[in-house]
Amino acid sequence: MTPETAVVQALNGISFGALLFILAAGLSLIFGMMDVVNLAHGAFYMLGAYVTLTVVQRTGQFWLALILAPLLIGGLGLVIEPLLLRQLRGRHLDQVLLTIGVSLVIADLIGLTWGREIRSIPFPSGLDHAIAIMGGDYPVYRLFVIGFGVGLAVVLAVVHQRTRIGALIRAGVDDAPMLAALGVDIDRLFAITFAVGAGLAGLAGVIAAPVFGIYPGMDVDYLIYSLVVVVVGGLGTLSGAVAGAGLIGPADTFGKVLVPQFALALIFAIMALVLLVKPTGLLGRVRIAR
Amino acid sequence: MRGRLPFSAALVAAALLLTFPIWSSPWEASRYATSILRDMLVLAILALSLDLLVGSAGMPSLGHAAYFGAGAYAAAIAGQRLGSDDLLLGLGAAIAVSALLALAIGSVAVRAAGIFFLMLTLAFAQMVFAIAFQAADITGGSNGFSGVRRPTLLGLDFNDADALYRLVAVIFLVVLLLVWRIRSSAYGRALVGLRENERRMRALGYDTTRLRLSAFILAGAIAGLAGALQAYSLRFVSTNDVGVGRSVEAFVSVLIGGASTLLGPVVGAVVVLFIERVMPSYIAFAETVLGVVFIVFVLAARQGIVGLVRVAYARVRG
Repeated sequence: MTPETAVVQALNGISFGALLFILAAGLSLIFGMMDVVNLAHGAFYMLGAYVTLTVVQRTGQFWLALILAPLLIGGLGLVIEPLLLRQLRGRHLDQVLLTIGVSLVIADLIGLTWGREIRSIPFPSGLDHAIAIMGGDYPVYRLFVIGFGVGLAVVLAVVHQRTRIGALIRAGVDDAPMLAALGVDIDRLFAITFAVGAGLAGLAGVIAAPVFGIYPGMDVDYLIYSLVVVVVGGLGTLSGAVAGAGLIGPADTFGKVLVPQFALALIFAIMALVLLVKPTGLLGRVRIAR
Repeated sequence: MRGRLPFSAALVAAALLLTFPIWSSPWEASRYATSILRDMLVLAILALSLDLLVGSAGMPSLGHAAYFGAGAYAAAIAGQRLGSDDLLLGLGAAIAVSALLALAIGSVAVRAAGIFFLMLTLAFAQMVFAIAFQAADITGGSNGFSGVRRPTLLGLDFNDADALYRLVAVIFLVVLLLVWRIRSSAYGRALVGLRENERRMRALGYDTTRLRLSAFILAGAIAGLAGALQAYSLRFVSTNDVGVGRSVEAFVSVLIGGASTLLGPVVGAVVVLFIERVMPSYIAFAETVLGVVFIVFVLAARQGIVGLVRVAYARVRG
């Protein structure tokens, strides 16, 4: 591998990691608060990408999609949590199973609405050019993805540490029943948490749409990526999502270049290894394995 | 173990099932119903094996397609590479490969429980999918493995559609009997003990990790058998057979039919394949229907169809 390709692949890997962070942050947030692994997370992500497709086709405004899609999918989360998940509060496994059903329905409705072909959208205007890096052209949009992911991580960290809602989330992750006993409206907090988590998945779908593709089956592919990221990084913490995404994004990208015949299995091997050595994941707060 | 069917009724049902191609032939000339029923029985075998984990042992595996698909590929590849149509060779290869795979994945996955077990089985199954997808020179990759040879055994030729149906039906009945025996054995009760209170089982001296692993391998081996039967049925193996969709199909079958009941997974497999294979001729959104039905059962009838029938039966009896 030449130094040029190494740099380019490193940037590719980091930008993929930045995307995985946005995706995994939502999954981890919901788990941390509600002890539910949302298996509809990939479907929310997919919906974000398809909504972006329609907004861009109709208006040509990618930036409108960036605002609209997360709000729309967050709103969907705001309906699903009280309507479905709340009915099974305390039965965490059944809540997880419920999200399988939600995922089936969303993925099928997307197929019925948008068709079952591979789709694509152009880079948004302003970010559709390339810059010279190591003597080659590198798409600016991928650098934007890196910047967006890092910026979001900073914003989320500040919200988490410095704001009232962040304090509520930290308290809820620690001990939700105690928080309820202290008079916090836990129903509202859970609904908002689920909505924000879903919205983050939708946001990841928007960011991914111009580079990582819009296709049937993307829901499963990216659900698995986000599961691997949170298992490797550790469930329920923001730093875990950062660590997992920072490791898995580049590992997957370099794997596809260096060992193409094993690339698809590589990230799972990393996951198994991490679990054997550190059963909480790298920076997690719950033991995933014994 | 209540609700056991009377012996004679079970015999009649088994006989009707085995002779379906004969008594259905006057009104079913196209053999379409026979092929659907055959596929339902294959999915039922897969669901029965999964329920040993989900229902009996309380191990919610969402990656059972890995062992099903491994069995399907193993039977197909063994037939092709060894140039043999021998049924026992094909089934043996399927069972051995899927059991070994279950041993490898299970060694890591059974260290987790509950939701985490579900996440790990799902993720590792996707790894098997990725390998099947990538090893195109062996598996056919995204094109699938076509031209699977149907087996023979001791002069019996299963190339004919009705003969193959009878083979599937016989193996289904054998697996049903086997699962029934397992569930009522000391081993089956130990698995239920795992589900109910693993700590107590450890205190009683059981090596619970080994117990969980053994159940995982047993279920994987039976799933591999189902996979081989599907490869013979369709003469084709696709990456879908190792995909999340197939795992979800099996899981939904167990839940809708009724986890931890003998006939629940069978009833569930029939319902799921009816929705997935028959309904699309009439409506475009069959998969949505499946999702909604599943949601309703998780929300309102977690005991599944067989569980509901039992409750209703008990109420009628007073």
